[in-house]
Amino acid sequence: MADKDNKKIDRRNLLKAAAGSFIAWHTPAVFSATTKLFADIVNAPRPKLVWVILRGAMDSLHAVLPLSDPDLMLHRKRLVASVKEDTFDLGGGFALHPAFKELNHLYKQKQLTTVVAVESGAKTRSHFYAQDILESGLPKMDSDSGWLNRAVEAYQGQSLAIAHTLPLGLRGTQLSKTWYPDSLQPARDDLYERLEVLYKDDDILSERLAEGLKNRQLLAAMKKLKNKYSFPSLAASCATMLADRDGPDCAMLELTGWDTHQNQIGRLDRKFKELDQGIAMLRENLAEQWDNTVVVVTTEFGRTVAENGTRGTDHGTASAMFIAGGAVAGGRVQGRWPGLSAADLYQGRDLMPTSDTRQWIRAILSQHWKLNAAQLDYVFPTIKTIDAQLIRPLSKSMTAL
Amino acid sequence: MAAVKNNRAIIAVNRFGLGATGTELSVAQHDPEQWLLQQLVSPVFDKTLGDTQSAFRVIADLKAYKRRNRQREVKSRDATKKYVDPFRDGLFSDSLDLSITTDTPFSIRLFDFFSNHFSVSGSNQVLAVVAPILEREAIAPNLFGQFADLLIAVEQHPAMLMYLNNEKSVGPNSYLGKRSRGLNENLAREILELHTLGRNGGYSLADIRQLAMAISGWSFVGEKEVEDSGFKFRSRGHEPGTRKILGKVYSENGQAQGEAVLRDLARHEKTAQSISYKLAQHLIADQPPQQLVAAMTKTWTKTEGNIKAVVTTLIKHPQSWQSQAQKFKTPREFVVSACRAVNHSKVTDQSILKIALRGLSSMGQKPFAAGSPAGYSQLNRDWMGSDALMKRIDWVNLLGRRSRQDPKSVVNRIFDTQLSPLTVRSLAGAESRAQGLTLLLLSPEFQRR
Repeated sequence: MADKDNKKIDRRNLLKAAAGSFIAWHTPAVFSATTKLFADIVNAPRPKLVWVILRGAMDSLHAVLPLSDPDLMLHRKRLVASVKEDTFDLGGGFALHPAFKELNHLYKQKQLTTVVAVESGAKTRSHFYAQDILESGLPKMDSDSGWLNRAVEAYQGQSLAIAHTLPLGLRGTQLSKTWYPDSLQPARDDLYERLEVLYKDDDILSERLAEGLKNRQLLAAMKKLKNKYSFPSLAASCATMLADRDGPDCAMLELTGWDTHQNQIGRLDRKFKELDQGIAMLRENLAEQWDNTVVVVTTEFGRTVAENGTRGTDHGTASAMFIAGGAVAGGRVQGRWPGLSAADLYQGRDLMPTSDTRQWIRAILSQHWKLNAAQLDYVFPTIKTIDAQLIRPLSKSMTAL
Repeated sequence: MAAVKNNRAIIAVNRFGLGATGTELSVAQHDPEQWLLQQLVSPVFDKTLGDTQSAFRVIADLKAYKRRNRQREVKSRDATKKYVDPFRDGLFSDSLDLSITTDTPFSIRLFDFFSNHFSVSGSNQVLAVVAPILEREAIAPNLFGQFADLLIAVEQHPAMLMYLNNEKSVGPNSYLGKRSRGLNENLAREILELHTLGRNGGYSLADIRQLAMAISGWSFVGEKEVEDSGFKFRSRGHEPGTRKILGKVYSENGQAQGEAVLRDLARHEKTAQSISYKLAQHLIADQPPQQLVAAMTKTWTKTEGNIKAVVTTLIKHPQSWQSQAQKFKTPREFVVSACRAVNHSKVTDQSILKIALRGLSSMGQKPFAAGSPAGYSQLNRDWMGSDALMKRIDWVNLLGRRSRQDPKSVVNRIFDTQLSPLTVRSLAGAESRAQGLTLLLLSPEFQRR
């Protein structure tokens, strides 16, 4: 334990040294004051980043179908046959599941890139371990530092998690907000004032209270949506907060329910629609900020290439990711396709990964947020940037600063 | 009440219990350690409120209702309201009621710990009804015995078999496996990763597959035969042959083959370590003292996983009694302790139970809705976000307005004189009793344990 802790500190110090001048941002008071100042000086839109994590392992072969792969039908004839006729062609032998109407629209607008055969960095079929690795962005599990937290720290920005409690991806030294729709009547203002006094000597509680009050004020002006807990509604609220002038620079959204061990045809059709509508809500509510936005959709691993005995699929290895947004140079399927013949599969059963989700995210952080090499190493110490143009070279996000 | 001289009594009722109620603090102060140890008896639940049979009867009724109304296209939601919700909410209220009124709060804390350790979520209509049964039937009766018995009872319960998809898993070379269906690894994987050895438990993919085969055929009957709806070993789905798991060979022995593996897993060194650590982390601190965990692990190994002995080691260890409160209460701990603070009778008002349930939902810890077999987090940072605090404030505001309790006497019952001068001043300056009580329940002292 002691040894491990020391290593942790060493790594932190090392990373902080590499990251250089932005260490001063750690003090929350300095943080918010400076951000405000910053927003006043640069009265221009800042590039936004939204990360959607699909928990439970999305069956990528049912989302982005490799229709021209000669072995596809050998492994999952029934699954493919259920949707084949209605898929959206992406070119290059790939097609989108028919539920992805918005994604197809974005693809045609060159605002969507799909990446095939990506792994999350953990060659394991454990949801929790793989999610931890994907969220931490580190080679070993580290449950108190997420890559988006380090990225937003390097970027000197603000972050928001649409969740009751902070997910690992946004945990770390940088203070991140959480938000989830209220279900109870707010208390009277007088109570909050008294609590500010009561928490005077308690750093954590007073900090959280100040943050909570500020966030509520921001949301008071937001237009209300029905079914406020559905993913599309959460995405809409998220986008509204992001689009605000003092709003955060990045946000993390979670969508669960992808662990389709049984009867997956109907379930995935519903999940894909939910995801698709969520992306549409982000675009609608980010409004003109959509042009400065990148939405990254990732999952912890893929599923078995073959259908299992209960009309579903089991835990696999490589999956797919989506990169959407007005700032994206899209309209392409990226990533090397490994093939589905028996010899090409990972351990004889899974799609073989040909790149790491985090390599693509690193490229996005480089091109979208302009993080330099030292900062990128701070976010992903063991990952190399993938060589691909993912962001439009002349997008507003590149010229605003 | 006489002034509490024993700070350990305050720790006993607040850290290990569920927050003081009634005269608990004065009872505990004679011998705080003994007060805790004598509580190590299984909670008893009212079977008439729900067991496997009654749960599947609800499912049978639900399905019959849907069939009857097929032409009218009744909404799935209406059927849920009519059959699922009353049954489920009855169980939720019952366990909350027990938590609020119990005079063995430490046993309930441990009960809740293992219920979360073996987390099942009501993720569909059937599981919504069956999931809340697991803790009552499998966990409560085995709470203070051998972990192996608890483990087997849980893994053979319909709720767990359904939640982790084992009920239809059949061995590839079994009678059924040769026809159509196949093996499902989900339950086997979580048994190793979450229920026993833990994440870095040193098992391989092959071990997972072998365990999945050992427990293939573990299923249940379900709503088709309500009276006999529980666990059923389907030999026609069981993978024949010997299994090799973690280097040990298990010969073919039907249902007993899987049970033998679980017995070995229950006393395994890694299991001893991982559950001792988790238990200490739950009760004492996010980074529990190493010596404490080592002592618990040693007891686990010596007793081959006797839960009562391991918990006794924890209570008798000096590092469990550090005076600084290290843990921020989870929503369930917070809600229950707040209700105990304002409720001093043996009967809980129905409206209080409703408020308690609303609190759990809004604070993000609804019963049987963790949405992951890992259950809800037990770490401070996961319950301390700003929005989480705002929701806690709004909920206490709702509760505080309904209580006529005098904050001063509530303080005496819970903390005696151990409140900071700032908190004492804030309570004294409140504009009403209700506001004073609200401030007390939101004070830094009450939010931690």
